[in-house]
Amino acid sequence: MSIKVVIKRNTYFDSVSLMSLSTKANQIEGVEQAIIGMGTEMNKGVIRNVGLMTPEVEEATAGDLMIIVKTANADQTESAYLAVEELLTNKNTAQAKSDIKYATIDSAAQGIPDANFAVISVNGAFAVREARKALENDLHVMLFSDNVSVEDEVELKTFAHEKGLLMMGPDCGTAIIGNTGLCFANAVRKGNIGIVAASGTGSQEVSVRVHDFGGGITQLIGTGGRDLSKEVGGIMMLDGIKALDADEATKVIVLVSKPPEASVEKKVLAQIKECSKPVVVYFIGGNEEAVVAAGGQFAKTSKEAALKAVLLAGIDEAGINKRALNLPLIEEVRAKLSPEQKYIRGLFCGGTLCDESMYIAMEKLDNVYSNIQKNPDFLLKDINVSQEHTFIDFGDDDFTNGKPHPMIDPSSRIERFLQEAKDPSVGVIVMDFVLGFGSHEDPVGVMLPAMIEAKQLAEKEGRHLEIIGYVLGTDLDTPRLEDQVKKLIDAGVTHASSSTNAGLLAREIVLKGENHE
Amino acid sequence: MIHAISGDSYFLQQIVETKFTGSVHSVFKHALNIQSGVDGEIFTLATQAMDNAPNTLIINLDTLANLHISQNDRVSVMNDQLLIEDKLQLATKTATRWQCQLPIFPSDSTSLKINVITVKQFIDLHGKSGGMKSSHSPISEFEAETSRMLKLRTNLLREELVSQRFDQFQKYAVDLVGLGPGLTPSGDDFLVGLFTVIHLENSPCSIYQQLCESVINMIKPLTNDISYTTLKKAAYGQVRESIYSLVHAILYGTEVDSIQALKKVLAIGSSSGTDIALGLISGLEANIKLGGKR
Repeated sequence: MSIKVVIKRNTYFDSVSLMSLSTKANQIEGVEQAIIGMGTEMNKGVIRNVGLMTPEVEEATAGDLMIIVKTANADQTESAYLAVEELLTNKNTAQAKSDIKYATIDSAAQGIPDANFAVISVNGAFAVREARKALENDLHVMLFSDNVSVEDEVELKTFAHEKGLLMMGPDCGTAIIGNTGLCFANAVRKGNIGIVAASGTGSQEVSVRVHDFGGGITQLIGTGGRDLSKEVGGIMMLDGIKALDADEATKVIVLVSKPPEASVEKKVLAQIKECSKPVVVYFIGGNEEAVVAAGGQFAKTSKEAALKAVLLAGIDEAGINKRALNLPLIEEVRAKLSPEQKYIRGLFCGGTLCDESMYIAMEKLDNVYSNIQKNPDFLLKDINVSQEHTFIDFGDDDFTNGKPHPMIDPSSRIERFLQEAKDPSVGVIVMDFVLGFGSHEDPVGVMLPAMIEAKQLAEKEGRHLEIIGYVLGTDLDTPRLEDQVKKLIDAGVTHASSSTNAGLLAREIVLKGENHE
Repeated sequence: MIHAISGDSYFLQQIVETKFTGSVHSVFKHALNIQSGVDGEIFTLATQAMDNAPNTLIINLDTLANLHISQNDRVSVMNDQLLIEDKLQLATKTATRWQCQLPIFPSDSTSLKINVITVKQFIDLHGKSGGMKSSHSPISEFEAETSRMLKLRTNLLREELVSQRFDQFQKYAVDLVGLGPGLTPSGDDFLVGLFTVIHLENSPCSIYQQLCESVINMIKPLTNDISYTTLKKAAYGQVRESIYSLVHAILYGTEVDSIQALKKVLAIGSSSGTDIALGLISGLEANIKLGGKR
């Protein structure tokens, strides 16, 4: 063990900065523990308790900033400390930079001439104007705002296309550009796989699976959910494919979306034919024949899309843990369920994760209802009341009107979960927990009391309640994936290793012998 | 013209009635602290995004960064204007005077009990971890150990309160001062919340008021100047406006009022707002329990 201590006299950082710096410092490679805090007697007492007391720490006073870095060996200490010091310096620089506020996009573009990208999140009423200004200033745009008319979307995307710029959105919630996650995204390895996606959590899931299989991402370009509609015509997806085809670092392209409108699908597939790089197509519920005929690689699930992409990208198949489905577990759980416990209830924060599980269920089950069903016969009559197999997307407008997205505030899902857990006809409840930038700081932890309560209630009533939880995240995300999964397992929840496996497990458990694969 | 929109009466009085001098103690984006040249007390200039607070003037700026004020810059007063070197000339004459006047603890605690439960549930769900609220995934042994000590020591202090014991109150309170990450340590923030409740008129816990004041005499070396000033003011029932609003809403408002006021407190600092709110709740729960005995 080696410790480096630096005391900065009368140095004050605000609390938000101190906490953020501490978190980042503890994630630096080689750092076993980093402490950045004020040198009060009580904090020094804590430092003594964790075995890091040194003469320098003893001398610190309440107005001093203490920086303590512990590494496994002396060789790493100096470099680890320098990395922490760099964080502090960057914080100061960033503070200085963020102090410059620009009242308009025009002035920002003039003030930062090197900028080539604008992330816009304003009220929908002003979003079009701001996006247009950004494009006029030769900035690529990621438009997080929604409530933009389809006519405006077409106009913005056409204008961007003519200028050779990307117009990501409106309603674009996920992107990774130059290894930087924007809005909702996960920390993934840099690599040679590019993604163009019209679906937020779908693209998060594919990027996370690519990372899990040993691959990495060049760029993840979001298009906005309406891009593949007839009206918009896939302008952004087509431009995104072209951009990745031209990008030297990208070797494989993955497309992620719900099924496009037929005429748009034709255009996208025609673009794939033109593409010089292999293209994996994951259009949920999409048509394999058409994709293969266009020279693309069809993927039925998000997991398959990621697996095909990493193999095409040159990752050795022998070294990949494919996370096979736990078949003995399925039999084991089936035996515990009573004949009345026939139904799945899927409660999702991620729309595409909900869609994927729902489509997997629909392959073998007829009576699958949802608030996002395309077939109007199976749209829930009342979104607050489940029918037979029900899959709820809590991120849909029905649930988010005037409220934060459930990935930020999961409270609406907790209430519904407890409601479903009391229903004696329910055999399986399947849920997602999304980690990463922009998400809740402890998505599993916040559901934990409800899951434990539900399990106990079911046990009291003499029935087994199967809860399947999937944590979307990587080992680089905060909070730690490993800790979130452990919490699930400790609470008696079955952990699914991917969105695909979550859907398959739920379906196979309730099939109870019929159509059993 | 840069001017104070509103300000703490005592600070405004210092500017008008004394030859206030001092130096800049610390500078942040939305607040800068001035250390009085007379007694070392900390006074604050805060941007209009902040709420009124003891020893604080709210000024008509969104950020202080463009003023380029640095630590140790000299502060003086001339013609009711506060001057920092040649970087800031702050007019104070038109500032609205503000002073914290804590509400009276109600005789009927029916809605208070409901509001306390609601607020606690909201903090469980939305409060920031890392301080009083322990994280399920602490980032380091230091954080885990700090949480453990905070929990242990706040429990001792709570127990002292609800048992109406006095012997160890000072010791347990002092043991919290300076404990925790952040500019204002979590233990200090918790005490700010607790001291607030102790200073409510008719508060069953008001028997501890004098002990709060004696705690202040012991803690100057145990925390930094900024946090010490906040604690000192709280020990005399002077707290920032958002804390006042939260207490008022819990005592006299609805559950919705309480949550709205709580959100503003939770937005203070990193985990500071959560720590303050938990201190308030501890005090209010003790009040409910002690009130029932009367």
